[in-house]
Amino acid sequence: MSDIAVVGGQAAHQGGRTRMAEGTWQHPDTRRVLQLALAAIWLLDAVLQYQSFMFTTGFSQMLAGTADGNPGAIASPITWDARLVGHHLILINTVFATIQLLLGLGIAWRPTLRVALAASIAWSLGVWWFGEGLGGVLNGAASPLNGAPGAVIIYALLAVLLWPSDQHAATAPFTAARAVGAPVARALWLVLWASLAYFALTPANRAPQALHDMVAGMADGEPGWLAALDNHAASLLAHQGLAASIVLAAALAVIAVGVYLPPRGLRAILVLAIVVAALIWVFGQAFGGILAGGATDPNSGLLLILLALAYWPTRTAAGAPAVAAPAAAAQPAAGQDGGVA
Amino acid sequence: MTPSWILDILAAVMLLVAAVSAGRLLVSRPWAGSAGDADIDVAHLLMGIAMAGMLVASLSTLPNDVWDVIFAVLTGWFGWRVYRESRGEGARVLADGCHMPHLVHSAAMLYMFVAIGAPAAAGGGMGAMGGGGSAMQTLEAPVVAFIFALWLIGYVVLDLDRLTGPGHARGSYFAPPAVVPAHAALVGATAGSGAVGLAAASAAPAGSGGSVATAPAGATGPGQPAAGGDGTGAGSGVPADSARTILLGPKVAAGCRIAMGVTMAFMLIIMI
Repeated sequence: MSDIAVVGGQAAHQGGRTRMAEGTWQHPDTRRVLQLALAAIWLLDAVLQYQSFMFTTGFSQMLAGTADGNPGAIASPITWDARLVGHHLILINTVFATIQLLLGLGIAWRPTLRVALAASIAWSLGVWWFGEGLGGVLNGAASPLNGAPGAVIIYALLAVLLWPSDQHAATAPFTAARAVGAPVARALWLVLWASLAYFALTPANRAPQALHDMVAGMADGEPGWLAALDNHAASLLAHQGLAASIVLAAALAVIAVGVYLPPRGLRAILVLAIVVAALIWVFGQAFGGILAGGATDPNSGLLLILLALAYWPTRTAAGAPAVAAPAAAAQPAAGQDGGVA
Repeated sequence: MTPSWILDILAAVMLLVAAVSAGRLLVSRPWAGSAGDADIDVAHLLMGIAMAGMLVASLSTLPNDVWDVIFAVLTGWFGWRVYRESRGEGARVLADGCHMPHLVHSAAMLYMFVAIGAPAAAGGGMGAMGGGGSAMQTLEAPVVAFIFALWLIGYVVLDLDRLTGPGHARGSYFAPPAVVPAHAALVGATAGSGAVGLAAASAAPAGSGGSVATAPAGATGPGQPAAGGDGTGAGSGVPADSARTILLGPKVAAGCRIAMGVTMAFMLIIMI
């Protein structure tokens, strides 16, 4: 094999050994990494949407079920949509899955990033209504454990926060503020997590057996080890609904207001947010039920973790820009569309 | 049941990937001693055939036991390649190495063939995922399937990003330098040393396309064969050379890998 020099002269392929290039391919910055994570989740959603279950009447029944308890103006279109899906199940579900596939690929493919992000916002809002019944926000069924205020609305939130604009980059204390500015980003975080704290305390969720039943219910169909985890967690929550709800709500409230803390405090809050979201994802959502089959998405826990990472401080405690910022800003034209700058 | 026509389409895509990989092997002519990373194309060829057989029963070719052995060997081979890479580059090859994705792909294939339910193992191929099967087969240890699916999806988005991101001219990530066409380096250098070709390549802007990323320096030197190893170099017919350039280009390699990654993730998830 011939010796091989690569652009920049920093990689070589000699004697059959491939050496990686340094300096030619640049690692994406934090925002791009988060965009790629969002793209990966959309792709996962697409693959899940192609599952066998989604091509059965069980899918349309699942959609129709989200209308229950919602006001008529919200419920009627859901029922109509579910009936339509039921009549053209194969076609519509294939379209649904393909749209999500294109959203994932489009976000990962830089030239189509903006279009895909914009489309993902529109799609998420539609699914939030027609597929999740507004996440149970209006019918009293919402709980942080079951994905309130609707996992798909967090996709839209992430698309907004990760929009490839640097209108506020100069003053952004974290990635999520680069496009919309710190005040708006903080307000969105506050609303989301405060709403979770509120939902944790609703009557349906603070009943003595509410959390127990919710966690125990997730064990059905799961692999043995995950079912055992869920059952153990459920046994710990038995008859502790009120106390557990108060503790959960307090933690969520602290997370909500913690976004206004200085960087050191914010990091602690974000770690807490990631831990709480991970606990919710594993014990309350069983990884979205993916391992049991029939899940349409990984549910909200994973997305909350992704969201928390978008708020990780990118500046030093002294307020100086992080080392990565100027390096990222100097990236060449190819990255501009992707918001790598 | 997932509609059979979806499985048919995916099987067709996999056969296309296999055909393209076979074409890359034919063009690069590794048996002539000019290409050093034919293993990737061989792996894609085998995976394409195997996955097509898993998706559509009538396309099944070899018994599962044979595929077990094939993918065990491929997994071991790419494990060795990753190990060799890591000796020079350290742990970063786990995230950034050009052979790591192929290790994951091979391991995922091995897992699928090993973890499939017993009834399929007794047959000539998996097959039952396709329309001919009476029931959906499931994989043992579904959490492993989930992890593999996430891993594969991760590589898909990274590959797409690399194709269009800053410095995406680094074609060596997708197709290690030996199989990237020398034709690209010959742009602006009709003859002479490889340094001229590399200078031309280096002068190209980052967004100009992956095909100019890398090229065998020796291929442009006097008496050295081009990437294809057939000695035709830039002097051969332009259409044939262009076709070879496209076929051996990193974008084709990346496209094959992306298609394979999406399809493999799909198969893993629907068999959970």
